[in-house]
Amino acid sequence: MIGDYLVLSVVLFCIGILGVVSRRNVFTIFMSIELMLNAANLAFLAFSRLHETMDGHVLAMMVMAVAAAEAALALAVVILLHKHKGNLDSNAFSLLKG
Amino acid sequence: MAAEFLFYVFALLAVAGALGLVLARHPMNGAISLVVTMIALAGLYALLSAKLIFVLQLIVYAGAIMSLILFIIMFLNIRKEDLPEERGRWLYYIGGSALLIPVALLLIRAVKTLPGVETTIVGGGFGGVKEVGLLLFSKWLLPFEIVSILLLVALVGAVVLAGNRRSES
Repeated sequence: MIGDYLVLSVVLFCIGILGVVSRRNVFTIFMSIELMLNAANLAFLAFSRLHETMDGHVLAMMVMAVAAAEAALALAVVILLHKHKGNLDSNAFSLLKG
Repeated sequence: MAAEFLFYVFALLAVAGALGLVLARHPMNGAISLVVTMIALAGLYALLSAKLIFVLQLIVYAGAIMSLILFIIMFLNIRKEDLPEERGRWLYYIGGSALLIPVALLLIRAVKTLPGVETTIVGGGFGGVKEVGLLLFSKWLLPFEIVSILLLVALVGAVVLAGNRRSES
């Protein structure tokens, strides 16, 4: 049933949000965001299967491209921050605090 | 019947991998759990007859993006004592779950009102390379070009961020 796929998508997305709000390691936060993107992809494909059109497949490809761009930039930022601060705590990266 | 069984196996693997990512203390363990989730999701895409996305999930997500993340984690050489101290972690888990479970239940109830469709494998080239490609280059041409510009900007940004600034210092 399509509903089961959508329920799984909701569960994975909520686990991703839980990882973002409850962890302080920047790598875990970043990978939780990737998990949320994957849950969105699963929902796209499930709806695409429900309506038997292929627009969801194209959107899933776009999400993958955005995730690749995000991975490249976010990892570059993490390396720079690690070089400056020497740790991976997201609480230490509060440079914009007034 | 076999498809139902495979769905439950893959769903269990995906949720277990996601929980492992959130619960693991070291990011390396979390990254390996995330790879398990990605591969299980690829299996689910195959069950949804999305042939092209199944292949792309394995090559791009489980292959390229995850190996990039694993490479960076190994490159930074994170030891146990470098990890941020997360003493009140369980409190955050409980609070986050208390916040998220009502939202999830609401979404699941909304999902249950949808018409149910049996997910038999669709033939006739549904989700194949040719069909998705034709759609991508006709109806979705403008978003495709915008995504290509986004990738170019990300490339330039990564080079700018990673480039050494010997002239400044």
